[in-house]
Amino acid sequence: MDNKITIRELLETYDSIIVNQVYTEDIVMFKLFEKDFLIIGPLKKDLSSKAQIYLYNDEGTDYPHVVLKDIDINKESMLPIGKYRGICLYEHESVIQSLFSYEEKIIDIIDRLIKLLSMTKTEQEREFQREFLYYWNSATDLQNIDIYLKQDIKFTKLEKYCRKKTTRYVESNIELTDINNCDTRGNRIWQRHIETEAFFIPIIDKREILPPYRNHSWTIENIKEIIYGKQINHISADTYFQLKNKIVSTQNIIIVFAMRELKTKVCFAVMVKCKNGKKRTLFDKIYKDGIDIVLFNVERKDYLYLNEIIGNDSIFYNKKVLLVGGGSLGSYVAPELVENGASNIVIYDEDKLEDENKMRWRFGGWSVGLNKAEILGFFLERFHPQVHVECHKNNLDEASLELELQNVDLIIFTIGNSDEQLKFNRLLNKLNCKIPVFFVWLEAGGMYSHILVVNYKKQGCFECLYTNKDGKLVNNRATLNTEIQTENNILRNGCGGTRAAYGTSILLRTVSVLLNTIQKIFLGNIKENILIDISSEMVSYPDDIIPMKGCNCCGNRK
Amino acid sequence: MKLKKEFEDFYKCIRIDSETQNLIDKREILEDEIKNKFPNIMEKHDIELNKSDIRMIDQGSYKYNTTIKSKVVDRDVAVMIPLDISKNSDPRKIKKYLKEAINIPVRSVSIKEPCVRAAYYEKEVEWLHIDLPLYAKDNGTIYLARGKENSDKYSWEEADPDGLNDDLCEKINGNNQLRRIICYIKKWKNEVYSNSNRDHEVPPSIGLTYLACDCFFKQTSEEGDDDLLALQKTMNAIKNKFFCINNIEGEITSADISRELPVPPYTDIFKKMRDSSSSYMITFYKRLSIAVNNLTNAINVESEHDAAEYVQKVLGTEFVVPEKEAVVATTQNKKEHSFG
Repeated sequence: MDNKITIRELLETYDSIIVNQVYTEDIVMFKLFEKDFLIIGPLKKDLSSKAQIYLYNDEGTDYPHVVLKDIDINKESMLPIGKYRGICLYEHESVIQSLFSYEEKIIDIIDRLIKLLSMTKTEQEREFQREFLYYWNSATDLQNIDIYLKQDIKFTKLEKYCRKKTTRYVESNIELTDINNCDTRGNRIWQRHIETEAFFIPIIDKREILPPYRNHSWTIENIKEIIYGKQINHISADTYFQLKNKIVSTQNIIIVFAMRELKTKVCFAVMVKCKNGKKRTLFDKIYKDGIDIVLFNVERKDYLYLNEIIGNDSIFYNKKVLLVGGGSLGSYVAPELVENGASNIVIYDEDKLEDENKMRWRFGGWSVGLNKAEILGFFLERFHPQVHVECHKNNLDEASLELELQNVDLIIFTIGNSDEQLKFNRLLNKLNCKIPVFFVWLEAGGMYSHILVVNYKKQGCFECLYTNKDGKLVNNRATLNTEIQTENNILRNGCGGTRAAYGTSILLRTVSVLLNTIQKIFLGNIKENILIDISSEMVSYPDDIIPMKGCNCCGNRK
Repeated sequence: MKLKKEFEDFYKCIRIDSETQNLIDKREILEDEIKNKFPNIMEKHDIELNKSDIRMIDQGSYKYNTTIKSKVVDRDVAVMIPLDISKNSDPRKIKKYLKEAINIPVRSVSIKEPCVRAAYYEKEVEWLHIDLPLYAKDNGTIYLARGKENSDKYSWEEADPDGLNDDLCEKINGNNQLRRIICYIKKWKNEVYSNSNRDHEVPPSIGLTYLACDCFFKQTSEEGDDDLLALQKTMNAIKNKFFCINNIEGEITSADISRELPVPPYTDIFKKMRDSSSSYMITFYKRLSIAVNNLTNAINVESEHDAAEYVQKVLGTEFVVPEKEAVVATTQNKKEHSFG
């Protein structure tokens, strides 16, 4: 590391900076824009170390990124007695410090400080809003509440549930699978509380809404300005009229706000303390009877938010998926559906998990001897209380498929069994199925897997795979294994039972392609029915297998 | 295209796209009071006025959807009544009756030359005023009540508020870039005239709106609307509309611009500004010239950062200047892109 130039020399290259005092080569007090700062240089031995800057003895400054808490130095030391406030000039792990030289680190942090102190009011507002939750959470008395919303764009009533020290506010129409759970003595774990009414208010225009920060704490006036802005409508007309119509009779009201910041929503909550518990409209309770507020730290725990925050596409959200088959492939597909936003799943499988299969069954360790659909349901619902799984301990039959078709948005077959799939393919064709259907299967040996996407309004179906040009039924034409490879990879148990040899890598890559394909279907990027071949080398889209004109199932479809 | 995102963000920052519920409620209460009390007060002065004959007309930037954020919310709602102006030749009296109808402690009511103003205060600071121009409809002709409460100068001036609304709405509606340019020019006016408080010193918004409509240059490309270019060309064309006289040293000794109303009374919108002081027009021209120069520089410089600094001089600090490209490049090269 080049260390020829000292911090002092670097600071002196800035016209706007006056060096006050040099304590060591790496610790210097300087003046910039009439304020005193202490800079501590990066550690020379540690490439990843960064320089740090503290504001010295300045109670009034309320720029963004200046931390709220003081570090008091009240004993004689190398540094002068006084109050120091750190300045966060880097987003966490946003810059690779190791790539900067010592001088570059000093120059970079000073440039950032100058930029911070030169911010216009508009820039400051944006920075404060970006860091809204830091300031908000710093201003609360560590009172945490968990929020579960089904949507975050409309006004809604929330219900309060408590369990020991945990409090949940849940949108009225959300069914949480654990909310009715009981302890070993049969008592409900979650108690519903009706003494405090709670509401969710989405903010549609966040201009001029700044978090509470040093010398700018929130009062009831901030809440009044949000619901009844003078120049800016912070809430929609619809929300306003809901506030005007909703009658409330509790003395305290919880209000949870949400406003968009970058790609997600920032949530914060207050308890509005009112003069009394008289029955009035929610608007009047806040605007006319509200006298004080208590700030709450909010953690959004709903399924929508947890998906959004990791960048999951919204295409799966609120979609109900029928998963036919809970074998190895189904056991890998199901949790991925849940982790990608599908919270409503129906599973059919009559099989029980056996020891021989547990190494390639997603939740194998716990579940040998139990029904696969049930175990999947149990584990999936543990992902999140908004995940609902309907488990059927039987295999799907034609009558059930006809019924399910009325309620689901997507069907995925992971049964592998050709006879069953040909049967269901015919039925779906007959029923004029309007939702996308995915047939997913593996070949023995762990080399090849396939996905067939069928829209029954178009040509190309599962039976096409088993039909030759003459319209005669043949073996699956999509198969890539040779007969010998297939034969070599079939394991027999001696009682007529067979098991194909394959490990989890084929499962993982097949599920990955399946997720991408579902996404493309719902985004409208796949227009025709397609077959996908997946191997460890590549994903290919053969165009000579389907549709087959002579197919007795879809051949006549136009 | 230069500064596209910055202009989009700036517009979002300054724009008021609808009346707040707070304002709607205050306006509606005011309108109800006018309809309920004004006829009774008129009756006391032997002037017949039925509640149902009072017509409220939405006017100003809220009507044309060109409102921008400001220190004081400014709302215009006209009051039109049937009136025989030959029998009631003094409009100041009728304005006083209107004032009386709405003069309650929640608002401060005063009579201005072209209107009655209801102002709202919070902690002794005015945050809203609703201007109520009063129109009389007499034999199919409409007249605006002009004159301050105790001024010798007063008149019923022929007017056409509906015609004016129709004309401007027709010009602006459906032309989003023009609407934005009008908002930018109004913002420029607020910036350069922020310390002005003398009567008629500031070019009237309606005048700037008409000049913007007249001089508007639509600028668009495959990348979308180019607001920087459109603003520069429009403001430059407004500047070129001025008639200026320079002395031998090249100093401007006189500047003038006019724009007649397209409806009765067909008067020049800038007449009062011109008549109040010759320096007002010179100042207007000079400030406009500075703005045009800055916008021209913004177009000519290569860097987005430098261009934005020039635009910021015109539109104020709400226009955010992006980081210098060199700085961005240095930091970009050393940004963390790997996540575990």
